[in-house]
Amino acid sequence: MKITFIAADGTETAVDAAEGESIMRAAVRNDVDGIIGECGGSMMCATCHCYVDEAWADATGQQEDGESDLLDCAASEVRPTSRLSCQIRMSAELEGVVIHLPESQL
Amino acid sequence: MLDHRLAPLDDTISIDDLTVAPYPIYRRLRAEAPVLRVKSVGRTFLTKAEDCKYVKDTPEIFSSNDPNTPMKRAFLAHTLMRKDGPEHMAERMAMAPALMPKTIQEVWAPLYRQFVDEYLDRLPKGEVVDLHVLLSEPIAARILAHILGIPEATDAQMSFWSQALIDGAGNFGWRPDLFEISDRANAEMDAMLARAVERVRAQPDRSALSVMVNSENPIAMSQIVANIKIAIGGGINEPRDALSTIIYGFLTEPEQLEETRRTGKWGQAFEEGVRWVAPIQASSRLVLEDVEIRGFRIPKGDTVMTIQASANHDEDLFDHPERFDVFRTKNPHQSFGSGPHHCGGAHIARRTVGAIMLEALFERFPNMTLPDPQAVLWRGFGFRGPINLPVKLG
Ligand code: HEM
Ligand code: FES
Repeated sequence: MKITFIAADGTETAVDAAEGESIMRAAVRNDVDGIIGECGGSMMCATCHCYVDEAWADATGQQEDGESDLLDCAASEVRPTSRLSCQIRMSAELEGVVIHLPESQL
Repeated sequence: MLDHRLAPLDDTISIDDLTVAPYPIYRRLRAEAPVLRVKSVGRTFLTKAEDCKYVKDTPEIFSSNDPNTPMKRAFLAHTLMRKDGPEHMAERMAMAPALMPKTIQEVWAPLYRQFVDEYLDRLPKGEVVDLHVLLSEPIAARILAHILGIPEATDAQMSFWSQALIDGAGNFGWRPDLFEISDRANAEMDAMLARAVERVRAQPDRSALSVMVNSENPIAMSQIVANIKIAIGGGINEPRDALSTIIYGFLTEPEQLEETRRTGKWGQAFEEGVRWVAPIQASSRLVLEDVEIRGFRIPKGDTVMTIQASANHDEDLFDHPERFDVFRTKNPHQSFGSGPHHCGGAHIARRTVGAIMLEALFERFPNMTLPDPQAVLWRGFGFRGPINLPVKLG
């Protein structure tokens, strides 16, 4: 499954992800700059902050419980499209999803 | 099929060796024996980054709930650090609002700035002073006392309690004298907390104690107290050692300091400092079922030690790992751990030491020098950092 990451400076990187894999994990596994994922997806660190492309907002669904509290912690601006990428799992509806990366995670 | 080979057993590495100079040992283990049962420590060492991360991120197999450690005895409580699953989560979340960046930004960062000014003002220019003792330690104690909701505790009290808890929790020889000291610290903390609880009940604030006590669904008082103690035990040494380590790094690599000044990458310098010498070097996990790591069988009931100090120097991830290099392109260190026990104070440490202290210190003392780098002593196996830092301020 394909995910396209668009960095703050506009650089695009497309990576392959497995079904069920989180977007954070796919980014880290493929060495995408801009996602750190320091806590390994335990919703503890907020270093996997991303902005879901508007066109994909419905498909990725709502924030999980507790996500917004932690998003308060994000280093970059929090927007309505902000999510923790460790909480979004790849599924058929997300084939080709576009994810924008924040300026910084720390 | 599980291979039935156990990891090799080493009976040459002593705790003293690990306390004085661990890095050359870890370099050798990464190359020759990345999964190794170390007799003196009674644990299976994991020294590769990938293995450390895997263990921390797989709490279903590698539990934090290890009843065989002296921690419970030292804290007189079963703390969140040694719990798993929903119980751990509930206790951790109870304290979280006080440690979140929003609170840091609104409350703790401005307060920390004020303390930085005060503590820097006290330092004498032109003399050789021990910055570890005069700055790194007391300022870590001061901000923590406020964050936790016990501002009446003095720097010296905070430091004593913290060290007593750490020494007790690490008292694997079960020496009674160390537990006597931790018992005394517990009695002092309990007395102070009893008064502090009344105060935050009457006048709620943003501190960890207040948030826990005044919550709609508070956790048990015994756990509130245990949480405060875990934060006292785990919230002074690390920022203290991180700060001293980074100052040492800069003073022994002045061109790094110049470049950091020029580019303002103080946050990056903080990350590199904690990578270079991880303040918490190793963590233990209890193995709940037989597993295999690098072809070796790790039996149920074994205790593995993730050596994040070594993970942070893993040649698979880092060039010239032994060097303090602020400008490395990637820095996937594990100094704050990973998984559900990822450091609760990571945001605090980053937004105080990293975002405020370093720049303020080098702005105030642009000509600071380290007259004799050899005089700086490094110690520690579980926790590590310099134990002194004689610098000349200018
Ligand atoms: C540079 C500074 C720091 C470093 C390197 C550090 C490192 C760590 C590490 C490695 C762990 C995980 C231990 C494990 O997995 O078993 C941890 C846990 C923890 N840290 Fe920190 N720490 C730092 C600062 C702080 C501060 C300032 C506080 C206090 C506010 C704090 C509070 C905690 C707590 C409460 C836990 C337990 C989390 C849990 O078990 O869920 N830390 N820290
Ligand atoms: S990886 Fe830490 S919160 Fe997502």
